[in-house]
Amino acid sequence: MSEVVANATSDAAPEKSPRRRWWERYSSTSPITLTMLALVLGVVIGALIIMVTSATVLDAWRHSFHHVGSIGSTLKITFDNVAAAYRAMLTGSIIDPTLLFHSISTGHGWSETMTPLSETFTYATPLVIASIGVGVAFQTGIFNIGANGQAIMGGIGGTAVGSMIHVPMIIHLPLTLLAGIVGGAVCGLVPGVLKAYTGAHEVIVTLMFNYVVNAILIYALTSTALQLPGQANGISRNFDASATLDPIFGAKSGLRVSYGIFVAAAVVVFAIWFLKRSSLGFDFRITGANPNAARASGINPKFIVLALFVVSGGLAGLAGVVQAASTTHYIDSGFLVGSAGIGFTAITIALLGRLQPMGIVWGSLLFAALGVGGRAMQAATGIPLDLATIIQSIVVLFVASPVLIKEIFRLRKGAQSFQMATKGWSS
Amino acid sequence: MSARVDVTTPEAAVPAVREPVGRRRVIGALTIALGLFIIFVFGFGSAGGAHSVVVFNPINLSSGAPWNLSNLTVLTRWWNVVLGLVALALGVETWVRRPAGALARFGVGGVMFFLALLLWSVRQPGPAPIGTINITSVLVNSSAVIMVLIFGSLSGVLCERSGVVNIAIEGQFIGGAVAGAMVDSTTNSFWLAALVGIIVGALVGWLLALLAVRYIADQIIIGVVIVTLMGSISSYLNIQVLAPYPNLNLGNQPSNVAIPLLYKIPVIGPTLFDENMFFYAAVALVALTSFGLFRTRWGLRVRSVGEHPKAAESVGINVARVRYSTVVLGGAVAGLGGVAFIATQGQFQPGITSGYGYIALAAMIFGKWKPSGAVVASILFGVSAYLVQNLQNSNVPISTEFLTMFPYLVTIAVVAGLIGRVRPPAADGVPYQRD
Repeated sequence: MSEVVANATSDAAPEKSPRRRWWERYSSTSPITLTMLALVLGVVIGALIIMVTSATVLDAWRHSFHHVGSIGSTLKITFDNVAAAYRAMLTGSIIDPTLLFHSISTGHGWSETMTPLSETFTYATPLVIASIGVGVAFQTGIFNIGANGQAIMGGIGGTAVGSMIHVPMIIHLPLTLLAGIVGGAVCGLVPGVLKAYTGAHEVIVTLMFNYVVNAILIYALTSTALQLPGQANGISRNFDASATLDPIFGAKSGLRVSYGIFVAAAVVVFAIWFLKRSSLGFDFRITGANPNAARASGINPKFIVLALFVVSGGLAGLAGVVQAASTTHYIDSGFLVGSAGIGFTAITIALLGRLQPMGIVWGSLLFAALGVGGRAMQAATGIPLDLATIIQSIVVLFVASPVLIKEIFRLRKGAQSFQMATKGWSS
Repeated sequence: MSARVDVTTPEAAVPAVREPVGRRRVIGALTIALGLFIIFVFGFGSAGGAHSVVVFNPINLSSGAPWNLSNLTVLTRWWNVVLGLVALALGVETWVRRPAGALARFGVGGVMFFLALLLWSVRQPGPAPIGTINITSVLVNSSAVIMVLIFGSLSGVLCERSGVVNIAIEGQFIGGAVAGAMVDSTTNSFWLAALVGIIVGALVGWLLALLAVRYIADQIIIGVVIVTLMGSISSYLNIQVLAPYPNLNLGNQPSNVAIPLLYKIPVIGPTLFDENMFFYAAVALVALTSFGLFRTRWGLRVRSVGEHPKAAESVGINVARVRYSTVVLGGAVAGLGGVAFIATQGQFQPGITSGYGYIALAAMIFGKWKPSGAVVASILFGVSAYLVQNLQNSNVPISTEFLTMFPYLVTIAVVAGLIGRVRPPAADGVPYQRD
């Protein structure tokens, strides 16, 4: 505590040379600096985890204890292992320089060269949509932890319309997306109604609802008409070709990036407009900033809660249906369940992006790149892709506690601790 | 509501006194519905001649059989009608008399429901391949789940009584389970495994406390992320370490310790008095936590910090320190729960805790942030969680999905005030900063 005070007093020094000002700008707690430092810490901790769990590295260290002088080669083996993992992660999620050079010099193989980027964008698409849904709720001081359940519900609704109704594409695709939005919104509305009319805390209700929806998913896939005929397992019918979000560059290109990214882009534009320009968005933000002032100025808090859950749940539902319509074209009992769930990732991305739509886009790309890179890393080096999730979690832990980063890196300026609006169970 | 009542006139004071009555009516109505459901679905839904066999002798005997009880063959329809009538009677009584113990009557109705469900699902001629239901084995296997839920919900009670929301129970479970599996496999001692599990759980609790208390991060976000972190670490370790070295994950199970004489009692004996050490530890912890929180100076401090940190600070209690120590303690309890989990389930696999941490959280809320309530809720949820698994395994043609939802729906109903009303500690989840 005393350290914080000491830093605060040193900030007050009036005279600053231009060079120092430049340094202070980057050593201060701007959101970008904090996120970058959190990423650095995540990567460092990830490297440590690789070191202490890979047999080659551990053997090299054991060897170096018996043979004094071999420490150099031990360090090299350690470094090589970590570097190979991270290199695979980078080249697998963004671009492989060797392939790029080959493509530029020969004009061939662009498909292979662009696959990592395409995958990253494919993964990021539903994340952007779901995270914006969560972020909108956060801005109003409502913690929608049930985005995953809402996304699953959206997936169920979208799959039902996409696979069981047969109409031309111009109607079918919008209808499918709309069904996803409705599914998510209905699933969000239940906690919203309970919150508005009984005061039930939305964290508990939405958390419990995730599990309820998991059970509904299994039920829908095993006991209703949604199940693929002739199947004993929980697997849905396939989307009609008229209801899928197809790859932009055609199915032959091998690049999976689909028209879903235009849906995501539309959501980003909508969110920016909604939060900055629309009157409902203004009411949302006012309620988040000061609920009492909002109520005093005539904003109906019950209506805000209901509208909020409809918007937030609808976006999560849209994310679910986009996920199904752009990648698999069906859903099964593992749809967004457990580690595949985008809902919890969306919470962390919303936080990473400081609840701002553009910030969320960058956060989603970062997390998608980590996820896709993790897969490439596992294929290339055998290090489990869960390392990517570990790094993601560590990044968010640090981003959520800016004071900690500030202490580790001895940043100047008092960290404007990122005030989340949640107030515990009893509010 | 009551603020508007004019207390000077006695007539007006009456509705204020009767305020919770409406809720008891709702509970009564629900219990009546339960009874009618049992009578008409499980009772008249089974064929007239169908019968079910109830077995009392345990399947696995570790230290000698209890006194023998012979099998009971019952007519499914009429027994279920009787069970339904009991629930119906309790519901009518709750509806009419609106007693204080309304929720307990609902609980008894729930027990009737489970019993009727079991009888109905094994009826012969019927769809089930096995026509017997072993009550003892149902209880013994449920008690394994219940024990884990008790550890988890006690951890939640401890943390939240001190004002820190512990959503990370699942994460502490996972940590304890991985550590427990590895230590037990290498040392072949569940005592050491328990010790290491406690340490790992405490470390996870410490991480939560560090970020939530010292760095004032949002407790719910931190909790959610810690669960993700522990889940991915366990999955990472599973692929990177446990898979290449299977002797680190042998899946040993501790032997049971029978309490002399008591274990001989049929049904109750194998369930309560012929268990592994973790079960006894859970029972002891319930008593300890209950006594500690409500009968000791330490407990008073913890509760005051959770209810009104400013007032606690003003009488010289170090809020941060109390929260720190209590959350670490809570993490340790949940870590022990993780070891207990692995002790009953065998080998560790990622995702093996499958949301038990969140059911424990639900049990804590359903139990009104009290150790005793948490136990009751754990029993209710544990039996239903066990039945979900068991009915799925024995091919009973009903949708177990709705039974899966049961703990969550009940918790939502409780939080929404539909049945009973819960009140969390006032400062639960609110970071405390000294001015």
